[in-house]
Amino acid sequence: MNLRIIASDFNASLKTWKRSKGTMFWTIAFPVLLILIFGAIFSGADEVTYEFHVQDLDDSDWSHTFINILDNISVVDIKTVSSDENITAFIEKETLSVALVIPGGFGEAIDKSFFDEEITVNVSFHYDPSEQGSSASILRSIVTSSLQEFNMQLSGGRRIIGVDQISTITEDFDFIDFFIPGMIGFTIMTSCIYGSIERNTKFRKDGILRKLLTTPITRAEWILAKMLFMLFLSFVSTLVILVVGTLVWGVSLHINLFMIVFMVVIIIATSFLFSGIGMIIGRFVKEEETADMAGGAITFPMMFLAGTFFSLDMMPEFMQSIARILPLYYVNEGLRNAMIYTNIDKTIFNTAIVLIFAAIFFLVGVFVTKWKED
Amino acid sequence: MIEKDVRCPKCHEIVTFSGEPGERLTVTCPKCGAQGKVTFKKSTIDQDYAIEVSHLKKIYGDLAAVDDISFSVPKGEIFAFLGPNGAGKTTTVEIIESIREPTMGTIRIFGKDITSSFNEVKEKIGILPQEFQSFEKLTVKETLVYFSKLYKKRADIDDIIGAMDLKDNQNKLYKNLSGGLKQRVGVAISLVNDPEIVFLDEPSTGLDPKARREVWEVIANLRSKGKTVFLTTHYMEEAEYLADHIAIIHKGKIIAEGSLEELINRYGKGSLLHIKGCKTGNTVELLRENGFNATSKENGNIAVTIGHKDRLLEVLSHLRHKCVDYDSIDIRRPNLEEIFLQLTGAKLSEVKA
Ligand SMILES: Nc1ncnc2c1ncn2[C@@H]1O[C@H](COP(=O)(O)OP(=O)(O)O)[C@@H](O)[C@H]1O
Ligand SMILES: [Mg+2]
Repeated sequence: MNLRIIASDFNASLKTWKRSKGTMFWTIAFPVLLILIFGAIFSGADEVTYEFHVQDLDDSDWSHTFINILDNISVVDIKTVSSDENITAFIEKETLSVALVIPGGFGEAIDKSFFDEEITVNVSFHYDPSEQGSSASILRSIVTSSLQEFNMQLSGGRRIIGVDQISTITEDFDFIDFFIPGMIGFTIMTSCIYGSIERNTKFRKDGILRKLLTTPITRAEWILAKMLFMLFLSFVSTLVILVVGTLVWGVSLHINLFMIVFMVVIIIATSFLFSGIGMIIGRFVKEEETADMAGGAITFPMMFLAGTFFSLDMMPEFMQSIARILPLYYVNEGLRNAMIYTNIDKTIFNTAIVLIFAAIFFLVGVFVTKWKED
Repeated sequence: MIEKDVRCPKCHEIVTFSGEPGERLTVTCPKCGAQGKVTFKKSTIDQDYAIEVSHLKKIYGDLAAVDDISFSVPKGEIFAFLGPNGAGKTTTVEIIESIREPTMGTIRIFGKDITSSFNEVKEKIGILPQEFQSFEKLTVKETLVYFSKLYKKRADIDDIIGAMDLKDNQNKLYKNLSGGLKQRVGVAISLVNDPEIVFLDEPSTGLDPKARREVWEVIANLRSKGKTVFLTTHYMEEAEYLADHIAIIHKGKIIAEGSLEELINRYGKGSLLHIKGCKTGNTVELLRENGFNATSKENGNIAVTIGHKDRLLEVLSHLRHKCVDYDSIDIRRPNLEEIFLQLTGAKLSEVKA
């Protein structure tokens, strides 16, 4: 590995990109345009609720005390949910964004905790992750700080009462929240596939690959340099999409280390995945225009079938099962779960699938492409 | 035991002999029977040749694109590989450049077999592939800097820009250059590592005559810098103008090889004398009676083939003796086109793959 060569190649790619209006359009302007257009079509007014539904399954002195603490906070308007309601069904029926459940045994646990230091008890905070911008985050912080205060009063700081956060993904999250992760996946897919196709068809026809074969650069150095550049593009696109989405439509992201790490992993894997697919196309379709068409024939249907812009739940069953075999589906789901739903299990699951797809397609791509001629 | 390829001085067949290092043997050419002595070097490195190709063969399906060819390129020469489209020029040159694998045969560059030494060789060669197009959105200078950074050994970019006469265009984007300039940039790229051998695959194909001339000047310039140039072309003027040594390739085989003089002397049917505007009857008959190959053309023009230069004076003295009246005489020696026509029965510029 020669870093000077890699840096020089990266620099050349960057210059080329800055001078190519077409690529600039697809990596930056196109996603921004789509966000603006789709956002305008689907944006609905955000209704902010400070009503806080609390279900008290304990009905003890301690639970009453805690509810009182919450109720005393001026912006919170406590609504009691009857203890025979199924909370999940209730949330769905009333289209609530948040609800708090105090479990049975809450009071008993607090009583015991005075004698047994090990005892703790958790309340459950149900929330809809797609509505993060509005009331949910405010109520969440209210619950956490109230609990802190309550714990302080009870034990001088020992954490007796904790919070279980339960996400209640309902069908009616904001469209833009659904759309932004899809836009990121789609943009990375197109720029990596078409970039890779260009390198493996046009550069071959123009003799650039043959030329490079007779210079000291190795294929590993070339691939690494190009992949670093594709990653750079993917992150630029992602950043632009997130900034525009947040500034214009108020997409509210979950910025925490765990999710950022997963987002980064998914973006890197996606870049490798679709660069690999581009290599495979370039291997079998030698002519650049035809290869671009083949790229379009793969990306365009995949964009719809993988639930990029519209939820798959609106589609018939067989279309949903098609989506399950498309790599972009897992990219979309992974990004959504990481950025929007903050569903850790699903994030890990989808990321793992994306990584497997990436490893397979990239390795096959590297394996089937060669610089040598027959 | 080592092997050595020797070109028979008489029939130019390349024959492989084997012997011990340092041994001197008397050998007989299996083709023409000529005898000669062969010395086997103590060191197998042959310092005099930049490139040695022996028994190279490349088969595609039922087609022998390159059919058992052998040749050597001495250091410091411009070697032209001349042949029509589809003759096997690119296949040969790309095998030498390790871009394609041969079906059979060995290639040595500076005496070392390239199958094991090509990575070292990379620093010493510069190539311009056929129909090469560089990165569209880089300027001429950026392009040269890009390629030079790939090498350990680097020539001064500004020197190359000066030598290739690219100074006025060095900040233009490659895609905005004319065809001739692009080819000059292509040659310039092949020089960024100050190579000892430069391979140019049809560097002037597709250019107009003026641009072609400019490319030729640039190539001629390389010889004066002491570089070995391996040039492929299907323009006979290009080979005539540039090459020290020419190999004519047709259907995968080398059908003639030597300097321009040698080729003309060996294969040319002699010079062609044109008597223009002849006003005396029976001149053709007169010349024929005296054993000349004369043919009558339109407007009283007569063409005479001259085998040896002494015969030229004979023609002139016959004309004078019989008081033949004519407007003018010109004389032309045969060119490669005619030699090719004679060897293959086909025209160089018209043969298609
Ligand atoms: N990759 C290939 N597969 C099959 N046939 C080939 C291939 N490359 C070249 N050929 C054939 O080999 C012959 C020589 O081609 P080439 O070396 O390109 O000729 P030239 O460079 O002299 O025009 C042609 O008939 C061509 O069609
Ligand atoms: Mg060719």
